[in-house]
Amino acid sequence: MNEVCFKNIDKDQCWSLTTYEASGGYSVWRKILKGEYTPEQIINELKTSGLRGRGGAGFPTGLKWSFMPRNAEGQKYIVCNSDEGEPGTCKDRDILRFNPHAVIEGMAIGSFVMDATVGYNYIRGEFIEPFDRFEGALKEAYETGLLGKNINGSEVSFDLYAHLGAGAYICGEETALLESIEGKKGQPRFKPPFPANVGLFGKPTTINNTESFASVPDIMAHGGQWFADLGVENSGGTKLFSVSGHVANPANFEVSMGMPFKDLLELAGGMRHGAKLKAVIPGGSSTPVLTAEVAMNMTMDYDGIDKAGSMLGAGSVIVMDDSTCMVEALTRLAHFYYDESCGQCTPCREGTGWLYRVLKRIMDGKGKAEDIDLLMGVQEKIMGNTICALGDAAAMPVESFLRNFRDEFEYYIEHGKSMVKG
Amino acid sequence: MLEIEIDGQLVNAEPGEMVIAVTDREGISVPRFCYHKKLSISASCRMCLVDVEGAPKPQPACSTPVADGMKIHTQNDKAKASQKAVMEFLLINHPLDCPICDQGGECELQDVAVDYGSDVSRFSEGKRIIAPSDIGPLIQTDMTRCIHCTRCVRFGSEIAGIMEMGGTGRGEDLKIEPFLKEGITSELSGNMIDVCPVGALTSKPFRYELRSWQMNSINSIARHDLVGSNLYAQTYKGNVKRLASGDNDAVNETWISDRDRFSYEGLTHDNRLLAPQIKVAGQWKEVEWDVALDFAVKGLKNNILNSRNVQKLGGLASATATTEELHLLQKLLREMGCENLDYRLNIKDLDNAIHLQSNIKLADLEHIDQAIVIGSNIRLEQPMINHRLRKAQLAGAGITTLNVKEFDFNYKTNDIIVAPNEIANTLAGVLRVLVEKSAEEVPAYLLAVTPCAQAIDIASSLLNSDKTVLILGEHVVNNAQAASIANLITEIAKLSNSLTLNLTVTANALGAQRVNFVPNSTGMNVNEMLAAEMRAFVLLDVYPEYDFHHLDEALNTLLNNDVFVISLNGFKNDLVAQYSDVMLPMAAMYETSGTHVNINHEMQSFSAAVGAPGESKPAWKILKVLADLLELPGFHYENSTQVLSEVAHQMTPVHEYDTAINLDKSTVEVETIWTHSPYHTDALLRHATSLRASKIGQINTASINAATAKSLSLSDSDTYLGVPVDITETMADQCVFISSNQATNTGAL
Amino acid sequence: MISDNAKKQIDSWIEKYPEGKQSSAVMEALKIIQKENNNQLTHDSIQAVADYLDMPGIAAAEVATFYENYNHQPVGKHIIRFCHNISCMLNGADDLISHLETKLGVKTGEVTDDGLISVKKVECLGACVGAPMFQIGDQYYENLTIDKIDKIVDGLK
Ligand SMILES: Cc1cc2nc3c(=O)[nH]c(=O)nc-3n(C[C@H](O)[C@H](O)[C@H](O)COP(=O)(O)O)c2cc1C
Ligand code: SF4
Ligand code: SF4
Ligand code: FES
Ligand code: FES
Repeated sequence: MNEVCFKNIDKDQCWSLTTYEASGGYSVWRKILKGEYTPEQIINELKTSGLRGRGGAGFPTGLKWSFMPRNAEGQKYIVCNSDEGEPGTCKDRDILRFNPHAVIEGMAIGSFVMDATVGYNYIRGEFIEPFDRFEGALKEAYETGLLGKNINGSEVSFDLYAHLGAGAYICGEETALLESIEGKKGQPRFKPPFPANVGLFGKPTTINNTESFASVPDIMAHGGQWFADLGVENSGGTKLFSVSGHVANPANFEVSMGMPFKDLLELAGGMRHGAKLKAVIPGGSSTPVLTAEVAMNMTMDYDGIDKAGSMLGAGSVIVMDDSTCMVEALTRLAHFYYDESCGQCTPCREGTGWLYRVLKRIMDGKGKAEDIDLLMGVQEKIMGNTICALGDAAAMPVESFLRNFRDEFEYYIEHGKSMVKG
Repeated sequence: MLEIEIDGQLVNAEPGEMVIAVTDREGISVPRFCYHKKLSISASCRMCLVDVEGAPKPQPACSTPVADGMKIHTQNDKAKASQKAVMEFLLINHPLDCPICDQGGECELQDVAVDYGSDVSRFSEGKRIIAPSDIGPLIQTDMTRCIHCTRCVRFGSEIAGIMEMGGTGRGEDLKIEPFLKEGITSELSGNMIDVCPVGALTSKPFRYELRSWQMNSINSIARHDLVGSNLYAQTYKGNVKRLASGDNDAVNETWISDRDRFSYEGLTHDNRLLAPQIKVAGQWKEVEWDVALDFAVKGLKNNILNSRNVQKLGGLASATATTEELHLLQKLLREMGCENLDYRLNIKDLDNAIHLQSNIKLADLEHIDQAIVIGSNIRLEQPMINHRLRKAQLAGAGITTLNVKEFDFNYKTNDIIVAPNEIANTLAGVLRVLVEKSAEEVPAYLLAVTPCAQAIDIASSLLNSDKTVLILGEHVVNNAQAASIANLITEIAKLSNSLTLNLTVTANALGAQRVNFVPNSTGMNVNEMLAAEMRAFVLLDVYPEYDFHHLDEALNTLLNNDVFVISLNGFKNDLVAQYSDVMLPMAAMYETSGTHVNINHEMQSFSAAVGAPGESKPAWKILKVLADLLELPGFHYENSTQVLSEVAHQMTPVHEYDTAINLDKSTVEVETIWTHSPYHTDALLRHATSLRASKIGQINTASINAATAKSLSLSDSDTYLGVPVDITETMADQCVFISSNQATNTGAL
Repeated sequence: MISDNAKKQIDSWIEKYPEGKQSSAVMEALKIIQKENNNQLTHDSIQAVADYLDMPGIAAAEVATFYENYNHQPVGKHIIRFCHNISCMLNGADDLISHLETKLGVKTGEVTDDGLISVKKVECLGACVGAPMFQIGDQYYENLTIDKIDKIVDGLK
């Protein structure tokens, strides 16, 4: 536990440069400045490490970095995604608060690999404390001569800035995020072209999640194999899991990939008040909900959760006990996507509102027998037809809640009240 | 060249092309709302989803680049299911009030819905309603119908060059609206009506009048400027009800200016001249055509022909007339032996007239690297030409302007502000630099010229660019050094290998030149006629207080009781009524067939979209009958096409003109440049109510800088020559720039 | 319209972006102006920001209405932004919101009579392991209970 992003979490002033350097921080970056690494070496280590994007999609980071046209003329950018807004997810906030230098060093390493001499960290607008910590760390790094132009007289330059959001979940989607840095509303771009070719300000850009970046320095310091060995096949390393909901001790836990869910639940103090586990959303609100039975037999890694019928996502484990009304829970999630749709594409703009309104009507006791088919039909029509994955994210919970807990919905429609809460 | 397969059919495609471009070319129909061939891709409506083999999800045809061997299905179950799904989503919040919608019958949504929208009744959660809003006199909004395709938004930022519409809010609350309190003000705004696929943006002057299928649609040509934009006149029961843009990549692409789109409103203005009238003992009397024409013939005979003093007859026309009309009038006059004819009514001194050829194709303007614009507020004065320049600038061209005032352009310009009497000198500086760089000898007139810094910059920008163009605008027509300025430009063009564009003439002036509507050396030009003792005039479409530079002289001459005046007009006019003896009502734009000669010397012919109102008749017919009654030979035309073919068989006359360059500065203390504001340049526009109510239509200012205002003892609350004063620092010294929607008031100049 | 102090703050944001990309600072500029004007944006203040950053008014308005952190209606001096998303809901957020509404005598979306406080229900604020939680100003308050809420709210001036 706590071997990478959180390795200093128990230390005093764990966010300071002193603490970070005392545990080997910036040693990789200093070597790079001395010319002791080639970009290819770093990419190879990352590939060996099995690090996959921690923002939700799980794309192999080494592979992603290799897509950047590093030798292309002109400015290139590296961007960190600290927009963290998916319900259930709150790990990046803690990385920024408690280990900001790891993010900086991870981005710096990436900037060298991809010849992206300018970087931005997009921090969600409400994260003022994390923003201040990050800015503080940036200041320290600049003052120590770790950032800037021709750092320490080397050929290497890297300028890093923080950009603050202003309240829009969709800006976590990487291209919406780029639009937002450009001072526009956060509407995802259609792809292709991909950011690696046309990104921020029209220039090649790579975007990674906070946790992905924060994992890179240790991977480089200890070797890709070391990281890979911390986890399991296909899921290298440790992962931060935000365990929230009906557990006794909700918190962020950095554990090895592949840990059985029941052990993670144990770590979180088990079910609160000894209640009975009913359902688990394993990777954040956009991932399909699982029944207790399935969850208890699942391991916490990409393949394990996939096999269970859901996704690791951002590692946001929402635990629900048997007092939870699944109709209410889904309505709340549907409201979220309805509220957060950027509105540019038809199925999501119109469909999320439709889903929410039907659910709301059921909650108001005015459900109709055909509503379940209607909900299924609408989510199916959103699925796969939108510009960005928010559409799918809105559809998936509906499908999984209805599939796994259909009886509760039928009951609510028939009786005009919750089967659980009465 | 790639090969792809669409619905089982092998077709060729260019690398980088989007699937929809290929399907469109092949005539395979893929439904779409947000895609527009002249706008950037948005890929947001999702209507064009098709099945691409190997792709897990359906792909939007508008934003999926072709790849060799790609197999696409536009109609299989997967594609259809997605298209149907999107249609259903689009309709849940749409009012479905097609029967009362202005777009009904020409709505892209309605068209597609017929094919795709099944089962829309499943939505029972209440529809979104957007409160109505007023965005100005030209465009009517009904945003409850909006499908958020953002074509109008993209049109604004990409084509109009000013982002006026935007999408505020997010998700379901996304609302397309302008932010400016004054609404939409762009000179190209009406194109939003054409790009809007539904009835959210419609023509305000047209509103609620008719369904599209009730109307006839006739190709026509707009004649307010030198572009001759292609458009459709939509008519109903003999009236033009609406104009929509036509496609012609060589001319106007697929856009038209608001000036071209909304001028038709003037056709049905109360002020139309509807019946022939003759003046008997000082009283106007409506009469039958034959009576009026007899009266006219008698007048000509009594005053001119019987006394064989045809040198006392004059013919004047405004350049708004068609080529055929101008041809017949000059033929009529010349057949009588009269060589006094002119269309250049607005020129102060014809010895100082501008002669400059236009030798760049409209479509090539967007490929230039450097343009020098002299004396033009080109954005408002020539919207479609400006649109091409804007494209060039966005592609990297440099645009330098040399003006007396800093105008508001919708792209980046390098503005040089110079007083009217410094323009020639500045250009002479440019020429001097160029001459020195070449091997040529410095001509005498340049010996005393020291190029200023700006002249040096202009010269080097011309030398350092490949494709350059020099554009001369209307502010220079009456400059004391107008002819020299034009000649300097010709010289500069020669040495810098530049093309030239002469925007000092407008409407169908090139048609007038084509038919030689100017006197040869034996005849009198307009200003000479106005100073001479005349006995008769034939005036074609002349409105004196707007058209003549020398208004006082014109009225003096025309109001003389001994002068017999035959006027052909489309609109009533008090001064015309005062000086005329016969008024013959003529058909206006869209009411007659004819030909417009555009800046590229392209003869664009059009037929009449509607009949002429009341007793009015196409002027070519009036002139033909008049000639017949005068027993002149060669007027046996049955239609205007025969007139045109006669024109086509004649050579364009070549006139010698003075190429001298004179750099003596004018000594006038305060120079005044008078221009008609953009929606005020011809009689039809002056009667187009909605256009006149628009922001541009309201322009009526005399711009002066503070120092000059002080020297003239003027303040912001004063008027100058009757025009409200606007004190601005972006004006050159010692001059006044007037853009007015009032009658010309140059008498005092 | 924009104070010198605000200009200074905006300028320091503009510096972060490449030359000519000053509109990247629009989100912060709007926040800065909002803070100076009773936590609220008006048509004119949006236009002023747009002018200052040399961007179309409508582009600034798009931003000002897209993001949730801008207010276009009067709000309290303190805005309590109460998360009511899933993890907070599972931990009793709804009851706590009701408690707060009763305590303050306002519904969510309203301002107290003295103009001091307004309450807003918001989506997940990224502190789910500290649910239930809300934000006031720059500060997060986590693991809320009725007692804790009372103490926090009573301390607002
Ligand atoms: C609606 C939506 C919201 C997202 N939110 C986040 C987010 O808050 N943080 C994040 O890192 N990635 C988020 N993502 C994923 C990003 O688009 C992107 O895949 C990720 O930042 C890439 O980084 P990684 O490869 O390191 O995971 C979101 C995606 C979608 C579709
Ligand atoms: S899926 Fe939703 S959030 Fe994503 S681009 Fe479309 S409308 Fe916007
Ligand atoms: S108003 Fe018309 S063009 Fe504009 S977004 Fe709506 S539907 Fe599209
Ligand atoms: S036409 Fe392709 S998505 Fe709109
Ligand atoms: S659900 Fe409340 S902070 Fe995440």
